[in-house]
Amino acid sequence: MGLSYGQVDRSKYPEPGPAPEINIGNAETFTLANGLKVFVVENHKLPRVTYSLVLDRSPVYEGEKAGLTSFVGDMLMGGTQRRTKDELDEAIDRIGGSITFGSASASASSLTKYQDKLLTLFSDILLHPSFPQTELDKLKKQAISGLASEKDDPEAISDKVANVVLYGKDHPYGEFATEKTVANVQLTDVKTYYDTYFKPNIGYLAIVGDITKKEAEKLTNQYFGSWTKGDVKKIEWPVPAAPEKTNVVLVNRPTSVQSIVKVTYPLALKYNDPDALAAQVLNNILGGGSTGRLFLNLRERKGYTYGAYSTISPDKIVGNFDANASVRTEVTDSAIYQFLQELKRLDQNTITEEELASAKAVMSGRFGRSLEQPATIARFAINTELQELPQDYYKNYLKHLNEVSVAQLNSLAPKYSKPDNAYIVVVGNTDAFKDKLKPYGDIAYYTNTGEPEVKTAVQDASVTAEGVINNYLKALGGREKLQSVKSLKSVQEAEVQGMKITAALLVDQTKPVAVQTMKMGDQVLSKIIIHKDKATMEMKGQQKEAPAEMFQALKQTLTIFPELYYAANGAKVALDGIGKVNEEDAYKIIVTQPDGTKVVNYYSVSSGLKLKSTSTSIGEVEFGAYKDYNGVKLPIGSTINSPNMPVPLKMTVVEQEINPTLSVSDFE
Amino acid sequence: MNKRKLFSGGLLTGLLCLTAIAQSQEKIKFKEFTLANGLTVIMHQDKTTPIAAVSVLYHVGSKNENPERTGFAHFFEHLLFEGSENIGRGEFMKKIEGIGGTLNAYTTNDQTYYHEVVPSNYLETALYMESERMMHAKIDSVGVETQREVVKEEKRQRMDNQPYGSILIEVLKRAYQKHPYHWATIGSMEHLNAASLDEFMTFYKTYYVPNNAVLSIAGDIDYDQTEAWVKKYFDEIPKGQGEINRPHITEPKRDQEIRDTVYDNIQLPAVVEAYNLPRKDSPDSYALNMLSTYLAGGKSSLLNKEVVDKQQKAVQVVAMPLDLEDGGLFLFLGIANMGIQADSLEYAIDEQISKLQNQGITDSDFAKLKAQIENMVVNRFSSVAGIAESLAEAKVYYGHADEVNQEMKKYNQVTKADIQRVAKQYLVKNGRVVLHYLPKSTAQHQ
Repeated sequence: MGLSYGQVDRSKYPEPGPAPEINIGNAETFTLANGLKVFVVENHKLPRVTYSLVLDRSPVYEGEKAGLTSFVGDMLMGGTQRRTKDELDEAIDRIGGSITFGSASASASSLTKYQDKLLTLFSDILLHPSFPQTELDKLKKQAISGLASEKDDPEAISDKVANVVLYGKDHPYGEFATEKTVANVQLTDVKTYYDTYFKPNIGYLAIVGDITKKEAEKLTNQYFGSWTKGDVKKIEWPVPAAPEKTNVVLVNRPTSVQSIVKVTYPLALKYNDPDALAAQVLNNILGGGSTGRLFLNLRERKGYTYGAYSTISPDKIVGNFDANASVRTEVTDSAIYQFLQELKRLDQNTITEEELASAKAVMSGRFGRSLEQPATIARFAINTELQELPQDYYKNYLKHLNEVSVAQLNSLAPKYSKPDNAYIVVVGNTDAFKDKLKPYGDIAYYTNTGEPEVKTAVQDASVTAEGVINNYLKALGGREKLQSVKSLKSVQEAEVQGMKITAALLVDQTKPVAVQTMKMGDQVLSKIIIHKDKATMEMKGQQKEAPAEMFQALKQTLTIFPELYYAANGAKVALDGIGKVNEEDAYKIIVTQPDGTKVVNYYSVSSGLKLKSTSTSIGEVEFGAYKDYNGVKLPIGSTINSPNMPVPLKMTVVEQEINPTLSVSDFE
Repeated sequence: MNKRKLFSGGLLTGLLCLTAIAQSQEKIKFKEFTLANGLTVIMHQDKTTPIAAVSVLYHVGSKNENPERTGFAHFFEHLLFEGSENIGRGEFMKKIEGIGGTLNAYTTNDQTYYHEVVPSNYLETALYMESERMMHAKIDSVGVETQREVVKEEKRQRMDNQPYGSILIEVLKRAYQKHPYHWATIGSMEHLNAASLDEFMTFYKTYYVPNNAVLSIAGDIDYDQTEAWVKKYFDEIPKGQGEINRPHITEPKRDQEIRDTVYDNIQLPAVVEAYNLPRKDSPDSYALNMLSTYLAGGKSSLLNKEVVDKQQKAVQVVAMPLDLEDGGLFLFLGIANMGIQADSLEYAIDEQISKLQNQGITDSDFAKLKAQIENMVVNRFSSVAGIAESLAEAKVYYGHADEVNQEMKKYNQVTKADIQRVAKQYLVKNGRVVLHYLPKSTAQHQ
């Protein structure tokens, strides 16, 4: 061009060019005789093609078989009448392609030149699945491991509990799988599901890529023409309403250092609602990204969190609003206050033209960039059908976005911003902040498995924390008797996926010294020798000193009955009502050591025995039945749920002795 | 915006960026020119969508750092979002988002990479902003203090608190005794704390210079107009004067295996094996990439079928070829199934490798491998952002951007015998690093 510039003005941003015209490609469409509706988006830029199938079925309530739909996709991929799972995997890799299935969707892609092979495999899976029992057994086992790890995953807990309170457990959106419901799922259930819902007449197939409509017609008839149609009933589900006043829902996770705070409520908002687009603009201003009010307030100004965001999700039945952040435990209540303040402020005519312009730019930019991927056009075509949008919805998207005004947002705000009709769900170390949350609404407790937690206040005023502990010591055999226990030997076993783990503990309180040995089968995994001031670990022949925080936890093993010494050590004990441990009423006692570490113990109201103990360093230990050893009661089993272990460990005592004969060599 | 996503300076992400290979069979057309100050500019036109990707690759990574000041390159990736003489603090992100664009950056052992994707009518804005970053970024004590904290937070989240997050750190420090690949991009927090503002200024003036950068632009652009804008904003940036430290150190060949145990906050034990790779531009790189796919790419790959599916010794085995400029690492990570010892998993992996070395691969497996590679090659160029990145990397590491159009040909030249040969030549036990990752909780039960 040969232009030459003089002094470049760097003091301001260059003026943009005229806004480019955004062309939204068209999808060609046709319907097979069996009712399968096909969309074709031609794009020959790259020699590849993708097939995406969506089934338009009503949400399914799974009830006693919850978990069923999560198995359907993998069960379909588990083999066909002609091919084993191994043969399928091999054949897919052989063409460098990919095929995935869900319970109401599927996708297949490869280079164009392999598409015949791809469709052979795709239609074989879709039309002739074999549903092998071995695959279901494997999936159920994996699902149960998954549920176990979810119990300790704060995000999973938060989502589960939020869905329960939003929609109720008897709604498809609120129910969830448990070990019991997963165990209930049988092969016939998977088959029945497949026979009921995998029908072409509720299907939309999008074909995107290096293909013409003519080829698509030929191929879809060839590979999906024999798929037989059938009636699929629509089910109406109730639309849950927002609560009349704001409620606080707490899940205690004593090991948490952060709280997951979620402010959420259901919204009657469908994709084709005239408000839908403006509601998204409103949300963008509140919590759409790093320019949203929530981010600027909770992160940039207050520094409570790494990020705070909100979403408004429309839905065919019932949508929702969700604002959330992970915040430091200490600022949990302050963060909730700011969330609610921002929701209130949204409804006080505070939206500026600048905020509106920025939200529009973010949304139109995202829309424009998404068009680079041809799959977007296919998604538009399918959404238009599924969500019953106006035919020109996406063509006019940018125009309608541009028309959104501040006045319109101000008039919509009361409908979508509901600080007084929300659920505030918090998963965290609730003992640290629960008292400060009372101003925000009635408090309900849920367990980490999504069940309401029953907790009652202690009615009998004569019950004190000290009394509960005395009762416990009495139930074990009495102070005097317990003080005579100087040493202990306890050998326990657990089974983890078929492997036996043995843990042996020797304690000599007089020295004091303790040895803890872990074995898997006959092989020693680790040996730890614990003294008053340090602990030495021996693993695979290497010795090293335990790190300080681990030593703090290990040190506790030096005391056989810690309750005996609470008073002498200056530990503070506090009674915190009655809770339930496996259906049994138990006094909850919070023990605070002089160094600030906390343990929460549960003692049975009826027997006085300790049922459960939780702490940050060890996690959660539940004690099973107790047995008498020369006048002293000891538990003969326990379940340990530690953040360091993927699944709970169920320990059973195989050998236990008080004041055993110990030799020096036992502690070497 | 999630900062974790934005600043992907962390190890694994950088590593993945480097390992992406291949290119489409369709020829990628481009134009290239160099400014008087040494800035290389590559342009690729694709008018399908009205967007433009603008990226700057600075040829500075952790390997260029002073061993007493590790973590500098990655730190700069953060610092250079702080603003410039004309762009206010925090405005970089805000402006790009506000014009409907998106932005990202990452750092590896060899390079630091910045890019934006903007609506095409804002191309000039993006070029102006990148020129500001190169010409006079704001480097002051406020920015340095803020970003020190952010980088510490990043290290906590991505490495300390991430299961297996320390793998690269642990492997690199054992695999490289002489070469500066010895340390990972995240570097040392002590070094960053100790560094003075002057040192940061010197680093900027040395490495963030036009003659150490490649500007690549792809998308809905006009070649002439783009070239004119590039000249307008970048011509006046002076050529760098400082000496660019490019280590000329050849890591001595090891004849001993290095073996160690690392205790981490993990639930399942893991085995890591690392073998030395030749330089990135070595002719063997293509065969080695195919070898990695054969061993651990896809559900029916050798290690997945044998060790994961059949023997059920691992929940997953992944290959992570770290193909660095001066010779990287062929890395395996196997995560053991419940109840499986690290030793037993290591044995199972080694057994498959030695089977491959002794018997080679079958014709049908070789055909499968070629199909997988071809698919990978084609998919690489599905976005203008990906094309801009590939062109810039080809220019820096192979000396010519057209390398992107040669890759499929080079893959096609690899023979079945080559796969066996490189397996024998590079996957040797003498000189490899083997790490066993064990759960801290194996010691902490009860």
